[in-house]
Amino acid sequence: MPTSLSYREKSLYASLAAELLVYGPYFFLHQQNSVNKVAGMIIAIIVLQMILQSIIAIVTRNRVTDERDRLIELRGYRAGYLTIASLMVLGLGMLWFHASVGHLRLDSRMMGLHFLNVFLGMLVIADITKTATQIVAYRRAL
Amino acid sequence: MREMTQQELADRVGVTRQTVIAIEQDKYSPSLETAFKVALVLGVPLEQCFQYDPRGKR
Repeated sequence: MPTSLSYREKSLYASLAAELLVYGPYFFLHQQNSVNKVAGMIIAIIVLQMILQSIIAIVTRNRVTDERDRLIELRGYRAGYLTIASLMVLGLGMLWFHASVGHLRLDSRMMGLHFLNVFLGMLVIADITKTATQIVAYRRAL
Repeated sequence: MREMTQQELADRVGVTRQTVIAIEQDKYSPSLETAFKVALVLGVPLEQCFQYDPRGKR
C-alpha cells in the first residue's frame, strides 16, 4: 500500500539534505579551514534549515505529530547520543595516545582550530546519525 | 456500517495516517490510550480491534 510522507518525514529529509549540503563541502572540500568558515557553516545551516522547514510547513496541510513520531524522535536522539559518546571516547583516546608519544604540540597556533574542527565533526556525525536513524525508522514503519 | 478512510480514522483518533497504516500492518503497537480511541471511533469493543498473540512478535 503506498504511503505518502508525513510532515515529520518531509522535515527529516529536508534536514538531512541541508546537513549534507552544508557539512559535506566544509569537511570534504575545504583543506584550509578557519574560524570564519566555521561561523559561515553554522549560519548557512541555520538559514538553510529555516528556509526548507518553512517551505515544508507551508506546503504540508496536515502537520499532526503523534506518539509514534515522539517514539521515533527518541530513538534518533538515543542513536545520536551513543554516536557522540563513542566518538568522544575515541577522540580522547587518540588525544591521549598522541600526547603520550609526543606528536601533540599544544603550543601550535592551529591546535585550537584543529580541536574545534574535530569536535564539530563529532557533532555533525552524531546529528546526521540521529536524522538518518529517524528516517530509517519511518521507512521501516518504526 | 459506513466505511472510513485511513485519513478519517487518523484525524478522529489524533494520529497521522502513517501511524494508522503501521498499526494495520502490525508494525507498531499503539499506546493504550490510542488503542481505546481507535475502538471508540470505530464503535467496537477493544478486543475486537486488537488481539494479543503470545506466539507472535507482539
